[in-house]
Amino acid sequence: MLVREIMHADPVSIGPDTPIERAAAMMREGNIRHLPVVEGDRLVGVVTDRDLRLATSSLSTRPSAPSAPVREVMSHPVETTHPLDPIEVAARVMRELKIGCLPVLDGPRLVGIVTGVDILDALLQLTGVERPSGRIEVRLVDQPGELARLTALLGEQKLNIHSILSYPDGEHRGRTVLRVGTMDVRALAERLCDAGFEVLWPSVQPCRR
Amino acid sequence: MPKVVHHPAYGRYDLGPEHPFSPGRIDMVLDLLRELGIALDPVAATPVTIENLLAVHAEDYVRAVEAASAGEAGAEQASFGLGTADNPIVPGMGEAARWLAGGTLHGARMIAAGDAELVLQLGGGFHHARHRLASGFCLYNDLALAIRHLVSQRKRVAYLDVDVHHGDGVQEIFYTDEDVLTLSFHESGEYLFPGTGWPHELGQGMGRGLKLNVPLEPFTEGDSYFSALERVSVPALDFFRPDVLVVQCGADAHHLDPLADLMLTTQDFERIFRFILRLAGEYTGGRALFTLGGGYSMRVTPRVWAILYLVLHGLPIPEALPAAWLERWRDRLGSPSLSTLHDGAEPYPAVPRRGEITRQNAMMVDRLLDAVARYWL
Ligand SMILES: [Zn+2]
Repeated sequence: MLVREIMHADPVSIGPDTPIERAAAMMREGNIRHLPVVEGDRLVGVVTDRDLRLATSSLSTRPSAPSAPVREVMSHPVETTHPLDPIEVAARVMRELKIGCLPVLDGPRLVGIVTGVDILDALLQLTGVERPSGRIEVRLVDQPGELARLTALLGEQKLNIHSILSYPDGEHRGRTVLRVGTMDVRALAERLCDAGFEVLWPSVQPCRR
Repeated sequence: MPKVVHHPAYGRYDLGPEHPFSPGRIDMVLDLLRELGIALDPVAATPVTIENLLAVHAEDYVRAVEAASAGEAGAEQASFGLGTADNPIVPGMGEAARWLAGGTLHGARMIAAGDAELVLQLGGGFHHARHRLASGFCLYNDLALAIRHLVSQRKRVAYLDVDVHHGDGVQEIFYTDEDVLTLSFHESGEYLFPGTGWPHELGQGMGRGLKLNVPLEPFTEGDSYFSALERVSVPALDFFRPDVLVVQCGADAHHLDPLADLMLTTQDFERIFRFILRLAGEYTGGRALFTLGGGYSMRVTPRVWAILYLVLHGLPIPEALPAAWLERWRDRLGSPSLSTLHDGAEPYPAVPRRGEITRQNAMMVDRLLDAVARYWL
């Protein structure tokens, strides 16, 4: 899954001389927490609702006036991502730097913004509860063609696969969890079992073969 | 006396010989009741119209179902969930589904008009049908149609779903509705279709705090199930004060059901049905509409629904199954041969993780009640 599939395209942005109070109002009105700061064609910073609250708090060591320009309080330089970056790369940057958003640049041009919530939405999509589905879990030998054999069998049954998650399970083996568009996963499990797959869920009677 | 609703046309909702949702299940219940000496005289209703369906379904969806049912091809069918393994396209399926929905809606109309208090619709319970999606063997959401009618007659409706699968279609359709409480008890979506039905799904807007879900661990047994049912439904009904109960009585939480993993026995179902009937007596002056639902073991489902019929009618539960019935359905009942209406003693081997499962379910109920408390002030 790529950043361009989950980003908010054409985000609202502001100039560096925008007053803090104006930026705060834009966040409230748009129900957003991050504003890219653009000067001419160039992204020069990002300002978050947290930046604004800290800057104007009486607890701040150097409080700014509501009329001060956002350039005084914005974060810069800015970490960015590209529309064709895989979302896991974007997620890793956000996690390592503990930041809540990444502006998306195509060349010098700001084309979108990705937030932590977008990454969570993507995770929900990837784990496949977006459509009504049953769950099947199979332990596969880690060798070429195994997953293909599994998905081919599902295709033969006219079953739609809504998501596949795979992760290592000891050496030379992996667990694959599929969400498939059927209520009757046990009939499917029996067929998989008959075809020589080790089915971990649903629990099935010993294979017929 | 409860009013019973049924029409022979229900049998036309047949998704194929290999499909688990067999109309044979209802035939077997009717035949079992007759063999038990019960003179059935059900009320027959007419099918719902396309117009009726628009109260809960999108028009493009209804058109697509009816077109597919008439044998017309359509590129958009797949996006409506039609033509899948669970919802194959079968000639006449739209009309058959409208017959079934007609029965459930008729039950609601009788209750709203004061012509009946207790109604048992011997069919229906299509709780997975969504606003714009066929799903989980369901095309038209008869339960939602009935609830919508009751709400239009200024009734507050509590929907109670004991099918082993989450009642996702009904929940979706009334997610923001302040006049409808939905309660679903089901095997956890982590393990079972459709994957939803979590405690955080509490409704939105005016419906917030009125959509309750109790996901139960696989291999949950009767006592743990019943405790969850009691601990959630009583405070929810105390708070909501419904005028009518609508109850989906799927039998697929039984331990022999081939599609799921809960461990109820027929004795547990009897206890659950008696409890719900008592709730109706205490909270809605006895006004309740019961439908059938899932239940995919031919050995089990007809017995569970016969017990439902007997409980609602206040009839004793006979011990033996009639010989003629056993003989007539021998092929479907399979082996070993059955002899009693209820399950036998020690119907399944002890569940090894019983303590852990019971604790986990109790904790799930605690979390749900905690989460919802702030909306029940
Ligand atoms: Zn079910």
